[in-house]
Amino acid sequence: MHSGLTTKIKATNAYACLDCGKCTSVCPVSRFSGQYSPRNLLTKAVREDFDSLCSDYDLWSCLTCKRCDEVCIANIQYSDLTQAVRTEAKDSGFHGKCSHSGAMELLQTIMTKPDLKQNRLDWVEDDMEIAEEGDVLYFTGCAPYFDVFFTDLDLSILDAAKSSIAILNKLGVKPVLMKDERCCGHDLLWNGDEENFRMLAEHNLEAVEKSGAKTILFSCAECMSSFYDLYPKYGYNVKPELKHMSQFLAEKLETGQLKLKDADKEITYQDPCRLGRHMGIYDEPRQVLSSNADGNYHEMMQNNKGSLCCGVSGWMNCDMTSKGIQRERLKQASDTGADILAVACPKCQIHLTCTMKDDIVKEKHGMDIKDISTITLERLGEL
Amino acid sequence: MSVKSTSNKFQEVLSGEKVSLSFTNRLKEQYSVGYVEPSPCKEACPAGVNVKSYVSLIAAGKFHDALKVVRERNPLPGICGRICTHPCESYCSRSEIDEPVAICWLKRFVADYELTHPAEKPKPASKRKEKIAVIGAGPAGLTAAHDLALQGFMVTIFEELSEPGGMLIAGIPSYRMPRDILKVEIDYIRDLGVNIKTNTRIEGKDALKSLLKYFNSVFIAVGAHTGKKLNVPGEDDYEGFLDAVTFLRGINLDKPKKPGNKIIVIGGGNSAIDAARTAIRLECEEVHIVYRRTRKEMPANDAEIEEAENEGVQIHYLASPVKIVGKNGKVTGMECLKMELGEPDESGRRRPVPIKGSEFIVEADVIIPAISQEPDLTFLPADHGLDISRWNTFMSDESTMATNIPGVFAGGDAVTGPNTVIDAIAQGHVAADSIERFLNGEILESQEPTKRKFETEIKVDPITRKKSKRAGMPMTEPSNRGSSFDEVEHGFDEATAITEAQRCLRCGPCDECFTCVTECDKGVAILSSPDNYDDLIFRLPSEFPTQDLQKGNLQGSIKSSNGNISFQMNSVVPQVKENLCRGCGDCVTVCEYDACELVSLGGEVFVSQINPDLCRGCGTCVALCPSSSIMPGRFTQDWLSHKLENVHTDKENIVIFSCNWNGSVANPAEHPELKPGDSNLIFINTMCAGRIEMSFIFNALEKGADRVLITGCKIEDCHFEFGAKQFAKTYKKVEQLAHMLGIESGTIKYEQIPEGNTAKFIEIVNKFVKETR
Repeated sequence: MHSGLTTKIKATNAYACLDCGKCTSVCPVSRFSGQYSPRNLLTKAVREDFDSLCSDYDLWSCLTCKRCDEVCIANIQYSDLTQAVRTEAKDSGFHGKCSHSGAMELLQTIMTKPDLKQNRLDWVEDDMEIAEEGDVLYFTGCAPYFDVFFTDLDLSILDAAKSSIAILNKLGVKPVLMKDERCCGHDLLWNGDEENFRMLAEHNLEAVEKSGAKTILFSCAECMSSFYDLYPKYGYNVKPELKHMSQFLAEKLETGQLKLKDADKEITYQDPCRLGRHMGIYDEPRQVLSSNADGNYHEMMQNNKGSLCCGVSGWMNCDMTSKGIQRERLKQASDTGADILAVACPKCQIHLTCTMKDDIVKEKHGMDIKDISTITLERLGEL
Repeated sequence: MSVKSTSNKFQEVLSGEKVSLSFTNRLKEQYSVGYVEPSPCKEACPAGVNVKSYVSLIAAGKFHDALKVVRERNPLPGICGRICTHPCESYCSRSEIDEPVAICWLKRFVADYELTHPAEKPKPASKRKEKIAVIGAGPAGLTAAHDLALQGFMVTIFEELSEPGGMLIAGIPSYRMPRDILKVEIDYIRDLGVNIKTNTRIEGKDALKSLLKYFNSVFIAVGAHTGKKLNVPGEDDYEGFLDAVTFLRGINLDKPKKPGNKIIVIGGGNSAIDAARTAIRLECEEVHIVYRRTRKEMPANDAEIEEAENEGVQIHYLASPVKIVGKNGKVTGMECLKMELGEPDESGRRRPVPIKGSEFIVEADVIIPAISQEPDLTFLPADHGLDISRWNTFMSDESTMATNIPGVFAGGDAVTGPNTVIDAIAQGHVAADSIERFLNGEILESQEPTKRKFETEIKVDPITRKKSKRAGMPMTEPSNRGSSFDEVEHGFDEATAITEAQRCLRCGPCDECFTCVTECDKGVAILSSPDNYDDLIFRLPSEFPTQDLQKGNLQGSIKSSNGNISFQMNSVVPQVKENLCRGCGDCVTVCEYDACELVSLGGEVFVSQINPDLCRGCGTCVALCPSSSIMPGRFTQDWLSHKLENVHTDKENIVIFSCNWNGSVANPAEHPELKPGDSNLIFINTMCAGRIEMSFIFNALEKGADRVLITGCKIEDCHFEFGAKQFAKTYKKVEQLAHMLGIESGTIKYEQIPEGNTAKFIEIVNKFVKETR
């Protein structure tokens, strides 16, 4: 029954484990949960103790943030192992603990329906110039849905998209926004639902093809990672060039097409796991945030490859451990003395903002959390 | 307990295997348990009042519901709560342990409670054109009129006296039967549309015939108001003779007048005691009661005898009148003979035998015989044609109350001779039922009276029960009563009533409180009746008072003739899974009962905890929790998934989420006015709209629902005060998300229904079904 799984496990190099324990020592989940250990799950996988593995709550606690992959001396792809086992578990009827009773997963699944006629561009304001076809496509992601869903959190998750379009318009670019863009499928795949992931991938790639885009820009690190890593990995050919907004902005600052005013606020930056460890994009966001070299940018204690994740992945097992990670990350951010925590992924923004619902956290470590495009737009000088 | 099963799963239950009777499982399996023998108290009550049911409702603090149960079989709860002879208490299982539950006084408590906390009155059924005449506004007549009025008949009661109430007002003194209580209960019956004509004596040559001309049926309930004679020498020779009924009627309906200074009352029933205690209040110098047997044989209520003695009445037991002594045409005393008890007579009481030469004289200026009464038949002409017994009472069939003339019924003391109020009420019910059947054209056949059993199969084990003291009745001290006719007994307060009701052993496995039917899970719980074994049943075990259900998951077993049945019932109180809780405080903010609170696990780590004493089970916090860490006992995700399995592939599926309080239907099959057309309707009831999560709605659509209707109470009507408000917020988001997803408008709809309005609910469902997308 699990024969396919054994092959997949082998492909992650799991059998090469030296039992050194480096993974556990860096794992953010282990640090705050006490019982969680990547090696526990790996040992079960290697011993083919699949029944116990599939029904394990901890299987869904892994953030697939690749912190362990980064340090493993045996080059084990632990996040791939997690994903493979989750697919197997889901097929056997197991699932993690979905936050919001699975509302997010339902929205994603509903988006797989081929004949859906979405109204997902209602948020676009009249003065924004957008196109249906063109060279540059801005992939919005699920921000319009999050914006409705998280009204209580008092954060405007669409600001990233609105700021990005404003900047693009200032540069004379009229980006394509797809009327029938779908969820990228990132969360579904990482949670073991390959079938629905494929439907979303195919739909998005077809729509992109129709738009004629040569470049796709992303504010969401997860969406980009889907196009960058996941679609090719599952056999889809992604032709356009992919750029995260931070990369795009860095490029334009470099060429002088964009100029920033002097910063009046102290800034620190949260590396999204997808942008950093998954795609290796560390420098460009920092270039954007510290471009004037006026010393307003501060690095958190854990940064770059060693940075701490935002605590929840795929709306799964959002629990006390997640909050522990988030509280710690906010502490690190506030310890830098910064006023603003810059983010490059809406999930980081949502999760860290949600943690500030706790009055004690807010009082001690509360700060403004803003997307990198929003910050850039605010600091934009005369062109 | 007899048990019948409709499913194999149930056989497993019977075989002792433990299964969960959680909400989900109860939906999955149909359980059917045979009805247990009625409790002894209910069996002992001549009117068949479901005593256990109302006592358990009082124990749960549901006073209005309790009163409703009483009224089903007794329209005079305040009256019976004061003067009933309460045979229920005589058979109460609690007396095997200590003392019977004070059932009668509990009934009085709920009746009094309504005086200060008015409840909604029942509405009569749709009008019927037939008219019914009732002769006599005593308990039998009032009961029959009450029942018939509720069935929609036009009822007129003809009452000879100036006030309605019959013996209740003419015979029972106000210190025992306050007139305001009597008025309230009679007004209650009047409000149902019963016309009571007082000062109207039916009389004349064609009395009965002319009544039958204008009325479709006549119920004779004239009572027994004529005192019987003593039949001793001198009775007719002297002035100073007054039978008890005439004496009491004069006092109760006219101005109280002192009859004389030294009074002898003859007899041992409640009328004798009433006459004696009334005489005390009229400041008579000496009041004697002469009774042939001992106190043990005295038919009057024990408490009454005791109070009479407390107030100064001298009772001469084992004494029998021999002759009346007089002077100058006036009574001066009575010669009595001492008696001893011999062999038992036909009534089972030992026959008093005179002791020769033991004559003695009791001095008196007024003698009041209170030995017995018979009906006054003089209102009818000699050729009335009705069968009359040798005791001068009307003869009617015991099982139907029908007389030998079709359409004429008779009941109460007019048939039985002097008897108790509760017996008169019982006959009033039978008569009303027969009259309705007669008017429906049914043939009334006499039936063997069913033998009442006074024992259940379920025996109470006295050893396992702790002893507890029966609540005493607070009353005015005898020394403070004086000549006052104010009520002596003051009734229970709420706390006393609840404590006393909790002494009930709830004989049998179910309290019959019907909470399950009316509140718990509509569509799931139906208490089965003896002749309806196939119903689905959900019963509460006797071991646990119903209010305990709030507090936690109950596990236990019910003994049955087929072995033990294990059960588990999940609490309505949700539980927080500690490792999942993020301590965000959303639940604390939403819960206006303050049931959720954040507690520290040390340092800055807080988790929510739910206080079961404050939680009322609406489930709003469950729906709101971002990390899904609050686990509902019922209305779970599993339950939802199970409900959604009912989608048809070849039909339009409409999922209807509703709140249990907004009139949603329990069993759609029972509502032919629901018009599903070609659509498959899936009803999903929750405790409150607040429990309905956004994911429920999208889940329904994802699982194959074509359309979704959500009904809830109006925000201001919400039983849980904030659940509806919270859902309205959620629904705003649902609307926006659905629009964004391109879900056609009209696919999802949310309607607010005024509380408990089933007709409106059905109307809205029908309208939604008809609408096309």
